Amino acid sequence: MNRRTAIKQLFVVAGGVMIATSCDFTSQSTTIALNHIKLKKSDEDFLAELTETLIPKTDTPGAKELNLHLFVMKMLDDCASPEDQKAFLAGLKAAEAVKGKGATDIQAYLKGLPAEDVFFQTLKRRTIQGYLNSEYVMKNKLIYELVPGRYNGAMKVKV
Amino acid sequence: MANLNIDSSKVRSYDAIVIGSGIAGGWSAKELCEKGLKTLVLERGRDVQHVKDYPTTNMYPWQFEHRNEIPFDVKQENPVVSRCYAFREDAQHFFVKDTEHPYVQEKPFDWIRGYQVGGKSLLWARQTQRWSDFDFDGPARDGFAVDWPIRYGDLKPWYDHVERFAGISGNKDGLPELPDGEFLPGFPLNIVEKYFKEQVETKYPGRKVISARCAHLSKPNQIHIDQGRVQCQNRLLCQRGCPFGGYFSSNASTLPWAAKTGNLTVRPDSVVHSILYDDEKGKAIGVKVIDRNTKEEIDFYGKLIFVNAAALNSNLILLNSKSKRFPNGLGNDSETLGKYVAFHNYSARISAEYEGLLDYKVDGKNPAGGGYIPRFRNLHKQETDFLRGYAAGFGAYRSSGSDQSGMGEDLKNSLLNPKLGNWGVGSHMMGETIPKESNYVALDETMKDDWGIPQLKISVDYDDNDAKMKKDYLDTMEEMFTAAGFINIKRNESSQAPGLDIHEMGGVRMGLDPKTSMLNKWNQVHSCPNVFVTDGSCMTSTSTQNPSLTYMAFSARAVDYAVNELKKGNI
Ligand SMILES: Cc1cc2nc3c(=O)[nH]c(=O)nc-3n(C[C@H](O)[C@H](O)[C@H](O)COP(=O)(O)OP(=O)(O)OC[C@H]3O[C@@H](n4cnc5c(N)ncnc54)[C@H](O)[C@@H]3O)c2cc1C
Ligand code: SF4
Repeated sequence: MNRRTAIKQLFVVAGGVMIATSCDFTSQSTTIALNHIKLKKSDEDFLAELTETLIPKTDTPGAKELNLHLFVMKMLDDCASPEDQKAFLAGLKAAEAVKGKGATDIQAYLKGLPAEDVFFQTLKRRTIQGYLNSEYVMKNKLIYELVPGRYNGAMKVKV
Repeated sequence: MANLNIDSSKVRSYDAIVIGSGIAGGWSAKELCEKGLKTLVLERGRDVQHVKDYPTTNMYPWQFEHRNEIPFDVKQENPVVSRCYAFREDAQHFFVKDTEHPYVQEKPFDWIRGYQVGGKSLLWARQTQRWSDFDFDGPARDGFAVDWPIRYGDLKPWYDHVERFAGISGNKDGLPELPDGEFLPGFPLNIVEKYFKEQVETKYPGRKVISARCAHLSKPNQIHIDQGRVQCQNRLLCQRGCPFGGYFSSNASTLPWAAKTGNLTVRPDSVVHSILYDDEKGKAIGVKVIDRNTKEEIDFYGKLIFVNAAALNSNLILLNSKSKRFPNGLGNDSETLGKYVAFHNYSARISAEYEGLLDYKVDGKNPAGGGYIPRFRNLHKQETDFLRGYAAGFGAYRSSGSDQSGMGEDLKNSLLNPKLGNWGVGSHMMGETIPKESNYVALDETMKDDWGIPQLKISVDYDDNDAKMKKDYLDTMEEMFTAAGFINIKRNESSQAPGLDIHEMGGVRMGLDPKTSMLNKWNQVHSCPNVFVTDGSCMTSTSTQNPSLTYMAFSARAVDYAVNELKKGNI
């Protein structure tokens, strides 16, 4: 039997996203179960660092606290093409050059990547998406209304 | 063969049988039940109860595993349905996956389907315009298809009837090409849509921009409250199923109403195989069903049969209903069954920006979606080198975004403080295609589905007329956008296959002459008078308007006629 399927799956809300986690805290496996790509816990931790570099903790929560790295992993695993997954994983490996370094070094590294770099594009796009759609932001900052109950097609705004 | 005894066939006997529980079937059932007929609705899909079976309806964006995206594998396995804009994580459970119900594409055709109680009425975009005499006169005037056996006047009272019950919001615009209806208040145009309306109507006499008419309860009447529906709350998550019953669906409206009469039986998981024809009696006596789960074959009996399985599936059922009298499909003396399939041309859109009125924005959401430009081409005379014309949607929105180029605190600040940008404007075409004999559906000779029913073979394509019309739409809209001072105009042609408009029609067309049509002016099969077909398959031509409101009107009208005829003993 596949070991993964034997692991009890549990749902937690990470950055507001429902994530099936493996509660196997002892091993090298990632917090969430992945179906297509292979990542180790150390990759996950590195990804958390990278997303935190993009959206750091200030007086409001940053990427790590909102589990945006898990969202990036989830979307990479389920929604990216196999080619993009491969390119991302290669990019992640290459980025290990700055693993453990400070935010400034990581930022400099990321800025140095070509504009069309799949790794950086995916990382950034999914981190931003996860952030803007997180329960935290949608409840506290850019409020999402499930039931607006109104429509005004000409609301005056200050310019 | 099912092993029948007399008692059990009695148990399976009804006054009327309706095949399909979508927009047309829901209306047929409601009208039949209200007139006191014991009615059986056979639905191939699973049951979906209003509110209870809308699993995503109250979910917040962050509660969707993939934030409403469809995973890569699912897209790969289901390329057809994945092309539908509404096939997203929140509504995917109401769509048929390609893998579940294959069909044969002799030419590429994106067949978008919803197999469940309620059919596609749960998913539709709810745009509802009446057809006019310009549409019903069309074939006789322009010389395509065959003459419609009815005119707008025949349908008008039935449009009134269904609109009052369904709840249609709109304004009285006084346009002969788009007759006014029994409206609830219209959803207003926003300030830029209004601006465009003024520009168009002053610079281009004869062209109009109006509030889109839609099946939403902008202000419910007692009849809607009696259905258990309340005012639309502007959520715009309609495709998940609306807990308020804010928009019209079979599930929220016609089916529960029919159930209240005590005359309704809905049997989900019942895949209709064919209509049973009795050569001796000279009429249809019932319907053969394959149970979706057990694959058991069961016959049901009825005096009246309403075929409402949605256009192409109704063709399939009739083609598969073979008997000595009708070896090529029930009622197919004219050999037109399956032919003259037509659809809408939605393959062009155009977008732009507007730098004016920047001290305004929109607050809340408009379920009607914005504006509607009724057909203006070839209305009063043939003025172009293509037949017929197009309507168009028009919408304006104020975009708000943030600079995402930075990293770290800058990025975070920027994301949390989005700035309003220019207005964006956009339009999409809704063109009429011409029914042609060469656009047909047929039974595949070898491929069967999981229930032993032949798969449908679809052979439908665009033609020159569509290409010319598309170019005219883009040129004309570009000119109107330019005249309105819009900038960054982008023409967008898509090479999408037919079908993605989800307005497939025809194959069982109405007509005056039984030699060239399947149905008479009452949607009654010319040569099998107790069978009625009132969904999109009955359409002789397609008009530019969205079709579903017209299916509702046809269904109600046909039931009224059928029940009277039944009572008189003529059926
Ligand atoms: C995303 C989307 C947007 C749309 N927007 C609009 C719009 O704005 N305006 C508009 O007018 N229309 C719109 N439509 C189209 C509209 O939904 C259809 O025209 C309408 O639902 C057709 O009604 P119907 O009853 O013929 O078919 P359906 O509503 O599809 O119902 C047919 C039913 O028959 C059942 N059935 C099929 N075969 C069998 C069988 N063999 N045995 C038993 N049951 C069977 C099906 O499972 C289904 O439940 C839209 C559709 C979609 C998907
Ligand atoms: S817009 Fe209206 S109909 Fe649609 S989900 Fe919202 S409340 Fe329901």
